Amino acid sequence: MTRYILFRLLDAIPTVFLVLTLVFIAMRILPGDPALTALGPLADQAQLAIFRERMGLNDPLWLQYLKFLWDAVHLDFGTSLINDVPVRDLIIRNLPHTAYLTIVSVLMGLTVGIPLGVLAATNRNKPADHIVRLYSLIGYAIPDFYLAAVLLVVFSLKLGWFPINGAGHGFWDGLYHIILPAMTLALLKSAFLGRLTRTSLLEVLGRDFVRTARAKGASETRVVYKHGLRNALLPLSTGIGISILATLSGAVAIELIFNRPGIGRLLIDAIHERDYPVIQAGVMMFAFFVVIVNFIMDLVYVLVDPRIRMKS
Amino acid sequence: MSKPLLEIRDLNVSFGTKDKPLCVVNDVSFSINPGEAIGVVGESGSGKSMTALSILQLVPTPPARVTGQVYFDGKDLLQLSNSELTSIRGKEIGFIFQEPMSSLNPVMTIGDQIDEAIMLHTDLSADARRVKVLELLRLVGMPDPETRIDVYPDQFSGGMRQRVVIAIAMACNPKLLIADEPTTALDVTIQAQVLDMMLDIRKQYNSAIMLITHDLGVVAEFCERVIVMYAGHILEDADINSLFASPKHPYTQGLLKSVLTLTEKQHRLYQIQGSVPPPGTIKEGCPFRPRCPVRMDRCAVEMPPMKSYGPTHVAACWATAEGVE
Ligand SMILES: Nc1ncnc2c1ncn2[C@@H]1O[C@H](COP(=O)(O)OP(=O)(O)OP(=O)(O)O)[C@@H](O)[C@H]1O
Ligand SMILES: [Mg+2]
Repeated sequence: MTRYILFRLLDAIPTVFLVLTLVFIAMRILPGDPALTALGPLADQAQLAIFRERMGLNDPLWLQYLKFLWDAVHLDFGTSLINDVPVRDLIIRNLPHTAYLTIVSVLMGLTVGIPLGVLAATNRNKPADHIVRLYSLIGYAIPDFYLAAVLLVVFSLKLGWFPINGAGHGFWDGLYHIILPAMTLALLKSAFLGRLTRTSLLEVLGRDFVRTARAKGASETRVVYKHGLRNALLPLSTGIGISILATLSGAVAIELIFNRPGIGRLLIDAIHERDYPVIQAGVMMFAFFVVIVNFIMDLVYVLVDPRIRMKS
Repeated sequence: MSKPLLEIRDLNVSFGTKDKPLCVVNDVSFSINPGEAIGVVGESGSGKSMTALSILQLVPTPPARVTGQVYFDGKDLLQLSNSELTSIRGKEIGFIFQEPMSSLNPVMTIGDQIDEAIMLHTDLSADARRVKVLELLRLVGMPDPETRIDVYPDQFSGGMRQRVVIAIAMACNPKLLIADEPTTALDVTIQAQVLDMMLDIRKQYNSAIMLITHDLGVVAEFCERVIVMYAGHILEDADINSLFASPKHPYTQGLLKSVLTLTEKQHRLYQIQGSVPPPGTIKEGCPFRPRCPVRMDRCAVEMPPMKSYGPTHVAACWATAEGVE
């Protein structure tokens, strides 16, 4: 087991380098002069020269690449062009908000989505199933920003149940502020996860070992949860991984609409202000997020499927 | 005669729509006495598995529709609710399936899967159950049970998995064991081994057995009575001696002939001409008619009723009934 984790960690290193390299290349092949892109057409020659010197753009490309890697490994992302704060501090300030939003919305999505899927699968082609499928369909069709706006108008502006913006201070206030944004993402996730649970549970419930469990005298509840769901979790965990990653694109819209701090928000602002180092760091954060989620999902597979555990 | 343990009356299983049903089991009636070993034979698709699965309501409905009565211990099993059934499944009636490779839960250890069968029907403590599981593993001939008990099924061969399935079925000492081709999917070399072991245990436990098989040799060796099925119908039901000495149905005669030619090492194997009709193709009369060497006009119109040829021998054939041999 420990060997498996170590192996997976080592496995992630090339991916991280690939990601860093891609970010490096992407930032260099942006059309036009990076200095000009960053500072805008109104910048004069002196400003551009200072910028190039500061960003190391005058060095040969290989040296730039090595420096870039060296800095990235040391989590040194340079300084924001707009307010002269180290980018690392900006990341540290914003990352927890995005992580919090992700975790809460995924938990909410799971607690709603999985039981819905079970309900649909065990009532196949009955009203409950149709309702869940309709719910999933609507969840697929609604864009996150639209749902966010609707919920904001209804629950915050009209009913006044929830705050209109910000992230709050302290645990309880923070929780109060995150409910509506997290619910927006969770509704969409639960639609996706509900459908996925239904499909994989139906597939599992048709298998021979389920019949063995019934023949043993196991109750229907036991058959569904102990034998069915446990096996359905294998394909389901891939879906959960996908849905966590989907939070990233969701977070951009949610953080903007609910006016919350976070990496998505940071990135969008940086793009507006052409804050070159922040954009670079933000993109890297998103990429690392993907690597980390994949790593966690690998661990989840091992926990769910004893066969992988035995082999390693 | 003692009261039968299981009595099936007019069992019908059909798929398809209400207007266009596909009957795969037709008016099947038979009974099993306590402790009796009965063999069910018939070609692939003759409805053996569907009959067996119907007994415990293990046929998924829908899409299937099941009608008739299945009396076990005075109760009609087809009328029981799911929760009433759970106290009979695995406790009173054990079931062994055709496909050992897929019959076990891949994410549960084999010990836990056997344990579940005991836990569901007794109040034993976890420790006592573990002792019982080890005992069962030894009983089914699992080598080194102390280490195997905590292993997952995919570490086992088909033969070993089928031993585990047998242990599950026998865990609560059932009054009836239904074994649906328990060794067909196994290596020829271990088929006999597993079968001997299973039948030996059921003898020790004094369980009745309904053994579904393709192999008349197995039936001859282990069973007291045989039921011959064809296209969802029972064509003949007789005690072993009577059936092998004088089979009454032309289909049974054909089956026996093909086995005999095998054992006598003749050059050409006897084969019944033609093949089993797919369900729904024969709506009236005897389903064996198209392949029957002694068919008569009457066979096309009316299904022959069961006629008695001795105290423990019935067959359904117009030709035999009229003395044509
Ligand atoms: N879900 C289903 N839908 C339609 N027809 C089915 C379904 N399941 C089984 N059948 C049909 O029921 C008939 C009887 O099947 P059954 O499995 O009882 O045969 P069997 O005698 O056990 O054969 P085998 O020796 O191959 O196990 C077959 O013709 C089969 O095609
Ligand atoms: Mg079968």
